Amino acid sequence: MTGKASSPGKAPGPTSASAAAKASGPPKAPGPVLSAEGLSVSFGKRTALSNVTLEIPRGRIVSVIGPSGCGKTTLLRCFNRMNELAQGARTTGAVRFEGFDLYAAQVDPVEVRRRIGMVFQKPTPFPASVFDNVAFGPRASGFDGDLHALVEEVLSAAGLWPEVAGDLDAPALGLSAGQQQRLCIARTLAVKPSVLLMDEPTSALDPTATARIETLVHSLKGAYTVVIATHDLQQAARLSDMTAYLDGGELVEYGLTETLFTNPHDERTESYVTGRPA
Amino acid sequence: MKFFRRHGKAGTACGVGAWTAAAGLALLVGALTARGWGALDPAFFVSPPSRDPSRAGIGPALAGTLWLALLTISFALPVGVGAAVYLEEYAPRNRWSALAESVAASMAAVPSVVYGVAGLAVFVRAMGAERSVLAGGLTLAMLALPAVVATSQEAIRSVPEGLRHAAYGLGATRWQVLRHQVLPAAAPGVATGACLAFTRTMGEAAPLLVIGAASFVTFAPTAPGDPLVSLPTRIFAWTAHSQPEFGALAAGAAIALLLLLLAANLAVLALRRRMRGAHP
Repeated sequence: MTGKASSPGKAPGPTSASAAAKASGPPKAPGPVLSAEGLSVSFGKRTALSNVTLEIPRGRIVSVIGPSGCGKTTLLRCFNRMNELAQGARTTGAVRFEGFDLYAAQVDPVEVRRRIGMVFQKPTPFPASVFDNVAFGPRASGFDGDLHALVEEVLSAAGLWPEVAGDLDAPALGLSAGQQQRLCIARTLAVKPSVLLMDEPTSALDPTATARIETLVHSLKGAYTVVIATHDLQQAARLSDMTAYLDGGELVEYGLTETLFTNPHDERTESYVTGRPA
Repeated sequence: MKFFRRHGKAGTACGVGAWTAAAGLALLVGALTARGWGALDPAFFVSPPSRDPSRAGIGPALAGTLWLALLTISFALPVGVGAAVYLEEYAPRNRWSALAESVAASMAAVPSVVYGVAGLAVFVRAMGAERSVLAGGLTLAMLALPAVVATSQEAIRSVPEGLRHAAYGLGATRWQVLRHQVLPAAAPGVATGACLAFTRTMGEAAPLLVIGAASFVTFAPTAPGDPLVSLPTRIFAWTAHSQPEFGALAAGAAIALLLLLLAANLAVLALRRRMRGAHP
């Protein structure tokens, strides 16, 4: 990591995440929640992301679109330091969360992932009960409050509570794919992150389940900042305030969703969003 | 003819192979049973060996083999699973870890009698464990270790990457991911592999003979320091006898050994099924 001048000392205090999660309505704190500056990632000799600079505004939904392999997943994984779990990953440039350098030497990636949650493309419930799935994150971070209340709270937030309240001990793998994905979202909310990274969360789901997830994501807006990678352009248009278009690891265009879809500046963006080859 | 029509040429050839193998096994068990069934009375399982074939039994040998099983498992399982976890989850991927892995793999090909010679030098002589059950158990543990490491690695590797990422994504530490997701998911595979390794090891006579299993101990071992006795070496001692009555005793002891290994396999099967229930 090329250390851009990051404020030395400590990572963001423990209160900031939960405060941001509870805050409803428009954000108060100034500045973007997340920002990337000259961000490049390579795996071995393959460059996945080159020189990306963008800011993620607080409490908004930002979608990342682009063809398969354009670097959407890699970009998302830079924000919670998941790329470093892969063999031979190299990250340069700066990523800041609430102004602090996420890649500074004293930052613990485990702590980063507790504040910046992630939902994956395929629903990945643990082979355990519904309750234990939701409780895993809080237990891992040493939560000592009322676990049952927390589980009910986040399952309700994810719109899953009425469907599972009767039997929280039921195996999570017995749920439908759509329910599993909502469980995964609830599970992520249980750690009380302030940012949610969603990596094509509906690409493995049918239209009905997709619609439910979209409603859910929309309801999280404000309380959470959401960055969602998607290859579904309508979804990006429906859900997001801002859209980033990536192609070949480069950020081609980033701006208000409406502008990007109706009046893009770059012709590569235009050909992608209209479906016409350049 | 019907068989041929249904399965075709290759299918029939494979079918013949399968039935030949099954028939060979049946013949073997049949011959053992015919020869040794007469020896199997309750007293046979508890009596010590004797010069009088009508009074001789496998009491001490059976107890010795149970001791060996216990000692082998308690050494090889933690060490083997630990090594597999290290190689899969912690070791940096470089030429040293690759070397360690190939050494572990090629140790599986070392003949068991060689482990006996090594056990004699290290455990019996250098460590001064004498010709004890402990020395035998440690030697058999060395023998089982490569297989335990290899099958555990395979089981850990087959845990879906998505499960790890999901747990990391929720802010779990490496240890928490390992302890709560990876190991439980890998456990059925580890148990099966370890069981196969242990049942093979329990039938070994060669390394124990090299170490120097006592052929005439009339009391059952009650502590790891007691003299080394085991079922396979008991069988070997009886087959070496010239009196034909001892041959029947050897067959009886062989049946007992087979029953013991069968019971161990069934127990692991049940355990595996229970673990699968929790982690389908």
